[in-house]
Amino acid sequence: MRATDPSPPALKLAGLAKSFAGKPALADLNLEVRAGEFYALLGPNGAGKTTTLRIVAGLLQPDKGEIEVFGVDARRRPIDAKRIVAWLPDEPMLYDKLDPLEYLEFVAGLWGVEPKRAQALAEDLLETLGLWEHRRERCEGFSRGMKQKVALAGALVHEPKLLMLDEPLTGLDAAVARQVKDLLVARVKAGATIILTTHILEVAERLADRIGIIQRGRLIAEGTLEDLREAAGARLGGSEASLEDLFLDLTKPGAPSAAERAA
Amino acid sequence: MKPGSFLWFVAHDLRQQWRSLEGLFGGLSRGKVALMVGAATLALHGIAYPAALWLNASAAAGGAAPPAYLASGVLFVLPWIIAQSMTAATRALYARGDLDLVLAAPVSARAVLAARAFAIATDGVASAAILLLPLANMNVVLGHWRWLALYPVLAATGLFGSGLGIALALALFAAVGPRRARLASQIAATLIGACFVLGLQVLSMLPASLRTALLAALAPPTALALNDVRALLWLPALAAGGDILALVLWTLVGFAAFCAAALAFGNRFAAAAALSAGASSGRTSERRSRSFRANLGATLRAKERRLLVRDPWLMSQIALQIIYTLPVSVILWRNGGVTGSADVAFTPSIVVIAAQLSGSLAWIALSGEDAPEFLATAPVTRGEVERRKIEAIALPVFALLALPLAGLALASPRSALLAALFAIGAGVSTALLNLWRQAPARRALVLRRHSQSKLVGLVEHLLSILWAVGAVIAIVGSWTAIAPIAMAGGVLWLNRPRETRPAPRSAMRRAT
Repeated sequence: MRATDPSPPALKLAGLAKSFAGKPALADLNLEVRAGEFYALLGPNGAGKTTTLRIVAGLLQPDKGEIEVFGVDARRRPIDAKRIVAWLPDEPMLYDKLDPLEYLEFVAGLWGVEPKRAQALAEDLLETLGLWEHRRERCEGFSRGMKQKVALAGALVHEPKLLMLDEPLTGLDAAVARQVKDLLVARVKAGATIILTTHILEVAERLADRIGIIQRGRLIAEGTLEDLREAAGARLGGSEASLEDLFLDLTKPGAPSAAERAA
Repeated sequence: MKPGSFLWFVAHDLRQQWRSLEGLFGGLSRGKVALMVGAATLALHGIAYPAALWLNASAAAGGAAPPAYLASGVLFVLPWIIAQSMTAATRALYARGDLDLVLAAPVSARAVLAARAFAIATDGVASAAILLLPLANMNVVLGHWRWLALYPVLAATGLFGSGLGIALALALFAAVGPRRARLASQIAATLIGACFVLGLQVLSMLPASLRTALLAALAPPTALALNDVRALLWLPALAAGGDILALVLWTLVGFAAFCAAALAFGNRFAAAAALSAGASSGRTSERRSRSFRANLGATLRAKERRLLVRDPWLMSQIALQIIYTLPVSVILWRNGGVTGSADVAFTPSIVVIAAQLSGSLAWIALSGEDAPEFLATAPVTRGEVERRKIEAIALPVFALLALPLAGLALASPRSALLAALFAIGAGVSTALLNLWRQAPARRALVLRRHSQSKLVGLVEHLLSILWAVGAVIAIVGSWTAIAPIAMAGGVLWLNRPRETRPAPRSAMRRAT
């Protein structure tokens, strides 16, 4: 890592703005995710979660703002930033005509992973995710859950320092969802940083170290579950409030903005 | 229109087709699109005019009689439509698309199949009509009213061909089962589509006496006689020639074949669609466990080659393209070519095949990317990815051309060298054209679209013709070969990328 700072944050967004056809999707978004953290990004539909992740992955250019991934300026050195990031969208991006092993070889090649290491990792991931028996079948015949697992293996095979997942559990059955959650927790234990968006609030409540809630392209609340409860105060029954209560309270129309609450 | 009826489905399909056509033209306004279509129609008529003059002149000079060339026209178009229909019907079964939704609805499977078949027929007719109808129109302008018969004949041929094609596809499906039907039907369609051309080749290999006898026996009669089997077999040719009785009969036959196929096979189609849903696509070969590749370039090239080879449809289309290029060389060869030598006959077809092959492969590799966003997140530049894709297609093009080039080298090393040089020039230029004129979409969609945008297709033909003409001139030994090369360069220059590259599709998508 060519960091300038002794311990730079995994992701630092400053003043990020992006509009689509004149409509702002992100408006001055500031966000900092610490290295080694499991961070959940929540927000109502259309709040700008996916846009944020796509910008970090290098798929969208922001109108303005700064992006730093482990101290690497992602706008000025996109290739260096991409080298340490993986992005897993809600729709798996696969090749129908490749089998899982070939797909992983391809991904590892793109990220320049040393072949021997990549092969060992790939085989390990396929075992862990229960895809080993299917490693020589083409992905076109796979169920949604299997495709999602292959894509996840692809995101992990180059051992990214920052892993961004967009709704990784949508459409997965309980057993597969558990597998995926376990794998993610193991990754964080091993030192990786994970940012995940989800509408399943129970997942954020259980897994995340910190939770950020964005609405209309702005971060309106952030912190651990306890922090959020404190911020909501006695209105919601203090420490009894579930994340669902907090989320609905914070994002309901006419809710006090972060600045108002701080005052 | 009653929802769920045949016409309702046809309208639905037509709207889908119209929207995808609009999509091809990007953000152009309707007026501009109409203007472009009008200009293209005029241009096609302009090209058809000398052809019509030549046909008339040769008929007046006692050359090939109209029935003869109409007959060969039918022999060319009908198998083409049958083959395309077979392919389209098989693809409809496997590609599914909205088939699951439609067949789960309480509507008649017959109406669904009939509408699909109609869409298939229009597709097949349209590709033939682009070339044939301007010719007919120009002949009408020259005072030959009978050419108007081409309109109904083409429609009837389309109906007949698609009915037969669907029947054949479903028969194959029943015969070999859902797992192998896809590949079997691709092969069968390629053979049917090429049968006329292959027949020509066989014919040219026969001894002269046998050939003459065979041609006389097969020659189309000049008028329809209901008691003459030969005349009935040549019904479409006679109808195209303007024989009113034949015209009525052929229209009826086409219509009947279409209705019979739609009525008889509606339920079978639904059943086949249900079966094909569960058909696994087979395993990739259980090779000896090979270790991962070390090199980025090799990895990218391997992926492209795997995707190309695993697409039986793509392979059969390319085979068909090559086979259709052959008659040019056969005709040139049989007539002794311009100078009476084999090298002049073969060189242009080698150059044209190089251009077409490299164009098709470049188009599919560059435009049909299943995971463009995924590639965009990789720490690799877009230029690098595109360079590797073009490298990946260069190898199969060379491999396919190596044999004819080696054969040519035996006859004349100098011509072989020139053919190789012009083939490389042609291949590089069509690959560049497809690099600069990408229309990115998912590979399955790109393949379903049949071909590049019509405009890029036309430019590609133009480039291959220019290089082929240049090759012939160079072999004859004239420096004027520079002229077509310069023109090809000019055409490419006109298609160079403008300052801004097309934004990735992702930018268009409103993300949450």
